[in-house]
Amino acid sequence: MVSLVETVEWMGANSDVLVRQSIQHLSIALTALVIGIVLWVPTGVLVRNNERVSQVLLGASGIVLTIPSLALLPLLIPFFGIGEAPAIVALVLYSALPIMRNTVVGIAETDGAMKEAGRGLGLTDRQLLVRVQLPMAYPVIMAGIRQATVLLIAITTVAAYFGAGGLGRSIFAGIRLANADQIIGATIVLSALAIVLDYGLATTVRLLPNSEVIDT
Amino acid sequence: MSHDTATETASNSIAFENVTKVYDDGTEAVTDVSFSVSSGETATLVGPSGCGKTTTMKMVNALVEPTTGTVSVDETPVSEYDPIELRRKVGYVIQDIGLFKHMTIEENVGIVPDIVGWSDDRIENRVTELLELVRLDDDVRTKYPQELSGGQQQRVGVARALAAEPEVMLMDEPFGALDPITREQLQNEFLDIQAGLDVTIVFVTHDIDEALKMGDKVAVLQDGELIQYDPPAELLRNPNNAFVESFLGEDRQLAQLQTVAVREVMGPANEAPTNDGGTPLSPDDTLRLAVQNWLRSETDVVPVVEDGTVVGSLSEVHIRSIFDGRSRAIEENHV
Repeated sequence: MVSLVETVEWMGANSDVLVRQSIQHLSIALTALVIGIVLWVPTGVLVRNNERVSQVLLGASGIVLTIPSLALLPLLIPFFGIGEAPAIVALVLYSALPIMRNTVVGIAETDGAMKEAGRGLGLTDRQLLVRVQLPMAYPVIMAGIRQATVLLIAITTVAAYFGAGGLGRSIFAGIRLANADQIIGATIVLSALAIVLDYGLATTVRLLPNSEVIDT
Repeated sequence: MSHDTATETASNSIAFENVTKVYDDGTEAVTDVSFSVSSGETATLVGPSGCGKTTTMKMVNALVEPTTGTVSVDETPVSEYDPIELRRKVGYVIQDIGLFKHMTIEENVGIVPDIVGWSDDRIENRVTELLELVRLDDDVRTKYPQELSGGQQQRVGVARALAAEPEVMLMDEPFGALDPITREQLQNEFLDIQAGLDVTIVFVTHDIDEALKMGDKVAVLQDGELIQYDPPAELLRNPNNAFVESFLGEDRQLAQLQTVAVREVMGPANEAPTNDGGTPLSPDDTLRLAVQNWLRSETDVVPVVEDGTVVGSLSEVHIRSIFDGRSRAIEENHV
């Protein structure tokens, strides 16, 4: 029988494991997220004016997202070995669609009058991008990053199956041992991580003047 | 960047020579247009939608490149300027205003001075000066555009365009999106503001009354061609063809009264009635106001008074004198 009391008791008894696995989990997911941001935001910026290239890139990253992580991770093992490396590579690939798409769309949707006025006042393309388009696109780009964060936290769980650490270990162990408390306990911690991160990132948007948080 | 002011005042600030613009899709937006705007003057470009007025204006700051012909600013062809440098010294105001929503009013107004590298102090002083000029309270400087009314936003738009002390201003239907009362208020204030500036203005509008009111000269465009380019009074007196005549509207004579000052048509002072002949007129009043006073007056002749002295008189004959020649010109054109 599953009871919340027993689950909480299990969590209390194994808190050291949960904390250690949470740190591992965050370290994998956030490393991938940072690489993803560094890689995909500039890519989105670079392809913003080239519709063909951006369509191809967004299409490809959409296809990547449809590959189940259980299939993609073993495919990467021959190239990156076992453990955190293939997990991070897979996660970076998964983050491409939400981050790049929102960057491209956010910049493209900058108010036409602002672009027209900016150009007419003598802003260079670069100044227009940095001073007007990126600040205006920031909430949209952040929405993509938040989406990617939640996605990566979830997928990191699967990576535990292929030798990376994280809360996935407790969940897979719980499945093997048919221990529902272990599965649910680890899942609660996992959800809490995702919610806290999502909320924290949304707050960075709220702090900016005149930026609205876009719900994902 | 310094110019010889002596030559500048006498020069054509903006000149179009046989300018044609054909867009990539084959649309001929502007056909063989030639005209010039003297330094410090305002030219209004007016015509129905799709007549090429905005395209014409955008060739001045290189947002649109002419297919053939030459557009010059300060006697130098636009093609010889760096487009970015040119745009920074040409103010730009558009109907949709286009204030940057994530920047305060201060940052909006100061953006061009900022990118051309003015010091913070100088920008701050310039913003203070400009907000005063466009009659906005200084406390709007820390607000965001959305916190202002449409009329206030366009005041900021005008201030932003004037920030880097441009010699040329382009205004694309700047008051078109405002309600009629605000529009008229801004028109009047802008005429005031402009009188104190040495800036050459190209002002695009589809509203003929606005064109006549704001322009030292009015360019009427139709299907990409410049039909007539004349001062408002001349345009009203001698419309070039039936299109201009119909575009000027049914109340052309009333509009014409608006363009003439009493001083230009009044009779000698000794014809003024010695008894109280109704409300006296000032020589700077428009003829439109004069007609209204004249209709209210009990006498046929109204005195014109300046600084307490009678300097002239106005009667029906004087008012009618502005229409002389008009009917003749129209007849000639229609034959």
